[in-house]
Amino acid sequence: MQTITLKLKEAVRSGIAAVPVEVDALTPDQLFGKNEAELKAVKVWWGNREENTGDLFDVSVEGDAGNAEEVKIVFEGDLTRVKRIGDGMKAGEIEARGDVDMRCGAMMEGGKIVVKGNANCWAGREMRGGELIIEGDAEDNLCAMYRGEDKGMTGGKVTVNGNAGELVGQYMAGGEILIKGNADRLAGLNMRGGKITIESDAQWPGSDMTGGEIVVKGETEMTPSFKFVETATVDGVEYKKYLGDLAMGEKKAKGTLHVK
Amino acid sequence: MADELLIRNGVVYDPINGVKGEKKDICIRDGKVVDSVTNPKVIDAEGRVVMPGGVDIHAHIAGGKVNAGRIMRPEDERKGVEPKTKVCRAQSGYSVPNTFATGYRYARMGYTFVMEAAMPPLAARHTHEEMIDIPILDNAALPLIDNNWMTMEYVKSGDMDLLAAYMAWIIKATKGFGVKIVNPGGTEAWAWGKNCDLNDSVPYFDVTPAEIIKGLAVANEKFDMPHSIHVHTNMLGHPGNFEVTKDTYDLVKGVKASKDRQVIHTTHTQFHSYGGTNWGNFESKADAIADYINQNDHATIDIGSVILGDTTTMTADGPMEYSLYQITGRKWTNHDVELETGSGITPFLYSGKVSVHTIQWAIGQELALLVKDPWKVALTTDHPNAGPFIGYPIIISHLMSKKRRDESAEDMHKAIFDRAALPSIDREYDLNEIAIITRGMTAKALGLHEHGKGHLGVGADADVAIYDMSPEERDAGKIQKAFLNTKYTIKAGEIVVKDGEVVATPPGRTIFVTPECDDKLTDEMMVTLKDKFAKYYSVTLNNYPVQDAYLPNPYEIKAPWRS
Repeated sequence: MQTITLKLKEAVRSGIAAVPVEVDALTPDQLFGKNEAELKAVKVWWGNREENTGDLFDVSVEGDAGNAEEVKIVFEGDLTRVKRIGDGMKAGEIEARGDVDMRCGAMMEGGKIVVKGNANCWAGREMRGGELIIEGDAEDNLCAMYRGEDKGMTGGKVTVNGNAGELVGQYMAGGEILIKGNADRLAGLNMRGGKITIESDAQWPGSDMTGGEIVVKGETEMTPSFKFVETATVDGVEYKKYLGDLAMGEKKAKGTLHVK
Repeated sequence: MADELLIRNGVVYDPINGVKGEKKDICIRDGKVVDSVTNPKVIDAEGRVVMPGGVDIHAHIAGGKVNAGRIMRPEDERKGVEPKTKVCRAQSGYSVPNTFATGYRYARMGYTFVMEAAMPPLAARHTHEEMIDIPILDNAALPLIDNNWMTMEYVKSGDMDLLAAYMAWIIKATKGFGVKIVNPGGTEAWAWGKNCDLNDSVPYFDVTPAEIIKGLAVANEKFDMPHSIHVHTNMLGHPGNFEVTKDTYDLVKGVKASKDRQVIHTTHTQFHSYGGTNWGNFESKADAIADYINQNDHATIDIGSVILGDTTTMTADGPMEYSLYQITGRKWTNHDVELETGSGITPFLYSGKVSVHTIQWAIGQELALLVKDPWKVALTTDHPNAGPFIGYPIIISHLMSKKRRDESAEDMHKAIFDRAALPSIDREYDLNEIAIITRGMTAKALGLHEHGKGHLGVGADADVAIYDMSPEERDAGKIQKAFLNTKYTIKAGEIVVKDGEVVATPPGRTIFVTPECDDKLTDEMMVTLKDKFAKYYSVTLNNYPVQDAYLPNPYEIKAPWRS
């Protein structure tokens, strides 16, 4: 097992403008096999400039790894302007100690990311596989597709211990999302596969859905275009089961919405 | 000192001048081809294929509908992102590339002229603004004149002289090139939620599409117009529509062309060569269309060949786009242009696993292979409707290689073997024929060969493509690669592409036609037109015509009145 610790230098965050750092080049699969000098030379974008990782982060390496799965990257320091943590990662583990900026775990295919704080928008965007755990809140567009795409998350598992913003899992086609707090408006918009579980409240979940399943355990403000089917039991709890969204036409309304 | 260039020892294909792969030098001075040069910069083209700059007869590259496609498809823009370089602006887009990418990518394929095939007159300024922003390429645009209330009223009253006066006015007012017809009557009917077959009556106007087409053909030939009417026939994309297409050719068979050229050009004919009665028994009727073209000399076609993959369909044919949207369920939009026309846009994926798409893919190539005389057929993909223009080299490699076609067919839906003719066709295009369908024929059909386009005779524009391949090359993959990125593209005597990279981005010219109509006729027509503007248009007549400022590099072709 190898642990690579990358601590953002204070100087990077102390400029007048909070210029973001994009770290999609710093995933376990891309860093595996690099020695410390090579690690420090990996290029990352800081605003419109390409910089060496070693110039923006304090780098330390402990242990050895036999493959990418055995590589763990720990991000430390003020990460509120560090974007694309684990973007496209295929294997290994990332731990982000603090609040992270946009697109954490975007396009992720495998491995595991743990965020020990809040995640800004687009966390898990179009995620394909792997696991993303956000211990705080997630802002809007969690696991959603980018503007214009017709496929959002297709695989993997996402857990948010706090609340989530709007449009959780937009155009979701597969995988699982668990929100332990509330989900803001339109969770599962245009969803056609996969499962979203919201342990607290949700507003207008499943609008325009044509497939997949949403379970809301708290209060639900529903759109009127869902059809009540029956009372159903999920994990030993009784829910009202609805099918929808009929706004997409009766034939396409094959999404399932379980509410209290 | 004069700016001179000598392209030495290339194997030249210049079909308009009858040059079929001869080792020749091309001399260039001040942007034109000349007899000899004295102190030139020399390009050694030893053993490489040299052709005139490509001339695209039909593509959607500028204007409101193209831009709506870009806005509607951010995911398509992300597909083609290329950062700026020392000479190039930033590029984006695949099926609807931004204006810069459009210019660079065409130039890299050796093209130097592109016809924007559908300009809504009211949106002419937007179209010209985008054409200004497209680097390198010379261009022109065809205004849509067929679903126009003025046109339909004159067709109804039968007054062909006044129709010609209106046609002349709208081409002048839009700085357009010729007459574009798109689903005549059908786009207007779409405003009533309907569509029109060739002999249906257009709601309210009480004329038929057949009468509109014939009327505009007659009006067009009253002038010395460089191009014939340019027609997207009715019932695009409907199974069994090949009869409509043939009937459309017959409509104008008796009309006499004012110049030595066709009287009708039908575009993206692949979409109009369908047999069957539904999607289940859908089949190719390319043979029937090709037979007609072979037996008659008044009609030319471009193929509108399919490129497999995702694209963005966009046309002034609103009802067709709506039908397509109903099939795919993907996003769509449509647009109404006041008294003139409309449009629709929806993304579409052509898949080789789907029987209908496979047959469509075959039909475009069948048309090119079954029409015997390449001077009657042009290579297009109706960019971006059947696929983006960047796919032209794929089609060229298929037309030139039976082996390549067979390999592709193997991976596709088996319907290609019993409901299309392509697998049974052995013909292979040679480079001379490719040069015809990509520059010679297109320049001639547009009348641009008289204005220096599509050939390398003395006095022609010094637009030259040098492909990094030997004329003996038979490997389809290498042919495709060579046609995608030239060794050199020369535009008006300037090297704009070298080794597949854009090295200079001079602005192109906009070519426009001025039909010269009798003042008395124009005055009489203007009485009716002024009334239309006063009653119905959202702009005033004075604010309507495109000002000269929208054509910073204009090239005018005058079209005198003939009869």
